[in-house]
Amino acid sequence: MEFKTVLFYLFAAVLVASALRVVTARNPVHAVLFLVLAFFNASGIWMLLDAEFLAIALVMVYVGAVMVLFMFVVMMLDINIESVRRGFWNYLPLGLLVGTILVVEMAAVLGQRYFSLDALPNTAAEAGYSNTKELGRLLYTDYAYPFELASVILLVAIIAAVVLTHRERKDTKAQKIGEQLATRRDDRLRIVSMASVKEAPSVEKAVTEEGNK
Amino acid sequence: MLENYFPVLVFVIVGLAFGCVPLLLGRLLGPHRPDREKTSAYECGFEAFEEARMQFDIRYYLIAIIFILFDLEIAFLFPWAAIFKEITESPAVRTFGFVEMFVFIGILVVGYAYAWAKGALDWE
Repeated sequence: MEFKTVLFYLFAAVLVASALRVVTARNPVHAVLFLVLAFFNASGIWMLLDAEFLAIALVMVYVGAVMVLFMFVVMMLDINIESVRRGFWNYLPLGLLVGTILVVEMAAVLGQRYFSLDALPNTAAEAGYSNTKELGRLLYTDYAYPFELASVILLVAIIAAVVLTHRERKDTKAQKIGEQLATRRDDRLRIVSMASVKEAPSVEKAVTEEGNK
Repeated sequence: MLENYFPVLVFVIVGLAFGCVPLLLGRLLGPHRPDREKTSAYECGFEAFEEARMQFDIRYYLIAIIFILFDLEIAFLFPWAAIFKEITESPAVRTFGFVEMFVFIGILVVGYAYAWAKGALDWE
């Protein structure tokens, strides 16, 4: 067997095994870590297909950023695993049925057209071929409009994230430097004019107070 | 092309071995006699009284999601930078490619300004 084929089967085996562990792991944190492993292996398979930009972007974006987010979500949710797992065996047949139907449908629709051996071009990359450059050439000329739309979608995501999760806290002790600098004396200090004469304490009263002590 | 990535493969293998081999050696060579006290969580001599997992503040999530969005922006910038010299042979395409990317970044700068103005980047 060729070295590439060995690598492919290695990556594919670890990918399938770790993907299975994602759904069977008891601890959600472990499931997230297995998902990271699955992404690494998928990236290895893409690399074998000469899709170097996609492979590195997968590691950079998914492993580096999205999985961190997953981890935060797992940490933020207070899930009781036992209660989630209750009724697993009751729902299993129905779930399997629905899943099988979906897979069969997708295979029927997409399979022959996009994934048959005839449909896939034999991409033997010649020397000097750069996947990144091909991607760039298409993305920034033919697909310029979808590319700009992508930035609008990212903008919507930023605004949605800020609107959904950001709230002003009333109990913070942060400094507002602009406000502090703009303060005038009259805002903070009040000069009260008082009568300068006070009632002198009588000697008698002072003595009784001493006695009480 | 794949030959260029052979060092990466070697690196991955060495990294895996570096992590796994000491643990495996310890497991294989060392005595393994667990009991209840040994396997229980050690917490500075106290009894462990709750799970180590606790709920995070949602502010971490906000920072992480803003990071992801700008990470994606960088991912889009990269092929553009790689191809820029080649697609800009003719002046018309040159202007197009340049303006295109600045529109892209400009739209995202709106989001950045929004997050900043809203105080989403302040830690408080």
